[in-house]
Amino acid sequence: MSADEQPGLYVESTIIMTTVRAVAPFVLTFALFIMFHGADTPGGGFQGGVIAGSVVMMLAFAFGIEAARQWVDVRVVSALASGGVLVFAGVGLGAMALGGQFLQYNVYEPYYYEASKYGIELVELGIGGIVASVAIGLFFLLAAGFGHVTDGEGEP
Amino acid sequence: MTPVEWAIVALALLGAFFGGVAAIGIVRLPDIYTRAHAASKSDTLGAVLTIGAVAFALQSDLSTVKSIFLIVFMFITNPTAAHAIARAAADQDIEPWTKEDDS
Repeated sequence: MSADEQPGLYVESTIIMTTVRAVAPFVLTFALFIMFHGADTPGGGFQGGVIAGSVVMMLAFAFGIEAARQWVDVRVVSALASGGVLVFAGVGLGAMALGGQFLQYNVYEPYYYEASKYGIELVELGIGGIVASVAIGLFFLLAAGFGHVTDGEGEP
Repeated sequence: MTPVEWAIVALALLGAFFGGVAAIGIVRLPDIYTRAHAASKSDTLGAVLTIGAVAFALQSDLSTVKSIFLIVFMFITNPTAAHAIARAAADQDIEPWTKEDDS
């Protein structure tokens, strides 16, 4: 994952790489923390998703945008976005199929006793996946707009 | 006032002072490198001292631990961000301000 194959384009900085290596796991943990605590504290899927997406942006700043672009699989990002939509719609419409309102979690409670609690968390995770993948995709699309990016094949 | 309260007030005032210095520096200094210098050093110290005051003021255990985590990451990330900005500016061939072209 080095930028050596693109001479003259981007030279990595040891300071930035070391900092990103040290901080990235904590940022990802913090993103999950924000997502899971969205129901009872400030935060939620949107904020946690943006923080999770910013991990990929941090890696791109440290290791070069082109290197990160080759490292990030487009299929994973699209699967995360559409999977998040599926989870959200599945939980919401499943409640309607069981005779409740859209996203009425307590109709699941005959099947699982803490369904209200974990239903919210599941929806937050879905929203987080959507937001993270859309943020990553927007970042790479914006980065491709600069003139000094030469090859962008295989990208959306 | 107890010594802890004096410490809180002193830390908050020092943090506000360094934050003010950073704001004045960002507005008054001539180019991107000197502004990054003001933003990285003074602003980091101001934020860290203020969060230190918060850590003393919140007597509960978990919030204090969170504040200390914030201080650690502020010390790591803020100078790195300034370094990245200055480095990107150098990559774009932005000339540093010198005394000769004082305008």
